[in-house]
Amino acid sequence: MTWWCSASTEPWSWGFRAYPGIWVLMTALIVGYVAIWRRHRPQTLTAADRRKPLWFGLGMAVLWGATDWPLGTLGAGYLASAHMVQYMLYTLVAGPLLLLGTPEWVARPVVTRLRLEGVLRIAAKPLVAGVVFNLILLGTHAPFTVDTFRASQFGSFTLDMLWIGSGLLLWLPLLGPLPEHVHPSPAVRCIYLFLASGALPMVPGGIITFSSFPLYATYELAPRVHDISATTDQQAAGILMKIGNIPIVWGYIFVTFVRWATTDRQASATTARQQRSTPEPLARH
Amino acid sequence: MATTLDPTPGAPPSPAPPSGPPRWIYAVFALGGVAFVTLAVAVLLLGDRTGGSSAARWHGTLLEPAAPRPSFVLTDTDGRPFDFAAETSGELTLLFYGYTNCPDICPIHMATIAQALDRINVDARVVFVTTDPARDTPERIRAWLDTFDPSFIGLTGSPEEVAAAQQAIGMTVAVTEPADAEGDYTVGHGSGVWVITPDDRVHLIYGFGTRQDDWVADLPAIAREPDWQARVP
Repeated sequence: MTWWCSASTEPWSWGFRAYPGIWVLMTALIVGYVAIWRRHRPQTLTAADRRKPLWFGLGMAVLWGATDWPLGTLGAGYLASAHMVQYMLYTLVAGPLLLLGTPEWVARPVVTRLRLEGVLRIAAKPLVAGVVFNLILLGTHAPFTVDTFRASQFGSFTLDMLWIGSGLLLWLPLLGPLPEHVHPSPAVRCIYLFLASGALPMVPGGIITFSSFPLYATYELAPRVHDISATTDQQAAGILMKIGNIPIVWGYIFVTFVRWATTDRQASATTARQQRSTPEPLARH
Repeated sequence: MATTLDPTPGAPPSPAPPSGPPRWIYAVFALGGVAFVTLAVAVLLLGDRTGGSSAARWHGTLLEPAAPRPSFVLTDTDGRPFDFAAETSGELTLLFYGYTNCPDICPIHMATIAQALDRINVDARVVFVTTDPARDTPERIRAWLDTFDPSFIGLTGSPEEVAAAQQAIGMTVAVTEPADAEGDYTVGHGSGVWVITPDDRVHLIYGFGTRQDDWVADLPAIAREPDWQARVP
């Protein structure tokens, strides 16, 4: 029994493989969330607060699904495309869901206890978050990194943690639980997400897609899964990196613009009402 | 009359006019810089690895002394006798011993070689000799090889003939492992691809782990070399 998914020379089969390390980590995250929730829960919960556990639960489900068998196993040692699906789930689905699912009164005690205020204040700046996110993307998709880290359980665990961390970082200026981390301008938020997660990853995505050779020895020399060739697998991975983010990125941009426009319209209507209700000054004769 | 730009005495000082370029210029430059660095790092980290390959240094193991091209006669996938030494004489030949039910090494070697040969203009014959003649019929071998490259030659024979073909190149004869409850079994066999050059000598062997770009780097150099003996240090 191994505790974390890593590269394997064992032929692929759909037989279940157990990774207790993943179960321990996921259980610890859920237990920690529940404990902090109970301890710091305010007297009355808002409707938004009551929805938070649902978002968190969905985030944990995605996180667990991306890490554990079968996707985690496939991504760690068999298919570059599965590796990319894992990455996209961590950074584009689990990351925002976990942030959405964390109320301010859960996040603030943790941030204070771990003395993360200073680090997070800098990390939440869109330029910093975007640069660090893309550096992690590039660093963790370099052939040397993948082949080295995926070969061992500890390396594979490190890679997964880096991805989860970069997913949280990416969304911190957009959906962070602490309001001071969320950038106030909807336009900046949209441009940031488009550049950091939509435009820049197209560069490595294109290189992976159009590379003449399989870049990763881990996947090139892995036992084949359903006769998918190493080249086809890598092309699928590259395409995923290039365009797999579109639904999430553009979905966020769409929702943000609709909310922005709605707020703007309501503000205009309120102003107009106020102007109509204000009596005109009397003319002096 | 002279005009003055001095503020009216007693009035509050007006804010200083902004100096220098507007702030968005910095943001544009910063984003441009990030994009440039991303591109540069991506090319550096993800670029093809073939540039560093040296024709003087093989990815396989040089065999010294180079043995002569092995001689054996087996049956090809059309059911005809195939005299290996005679049929491939004077040609660059990649010879591999394996079996079609192999879960890892054999299909990976075949796929890697096929995809590498697709990318280079090298006349090389690829010959696959089964180590599992009980299951690998000519039809099965043909169907399996066609998934990689229809030009690959597949050979089989009686267990004795197949064993002799392995001994002909100096390999340990493959071992059939005990079957499981469903009757499936694996075959322990050598994992190397033997490279026989046009001088009819076995000069190199490429073990499992040889990648497409290794073949692409080596095969043209192997094929171009007119006098293989001169290359042997």
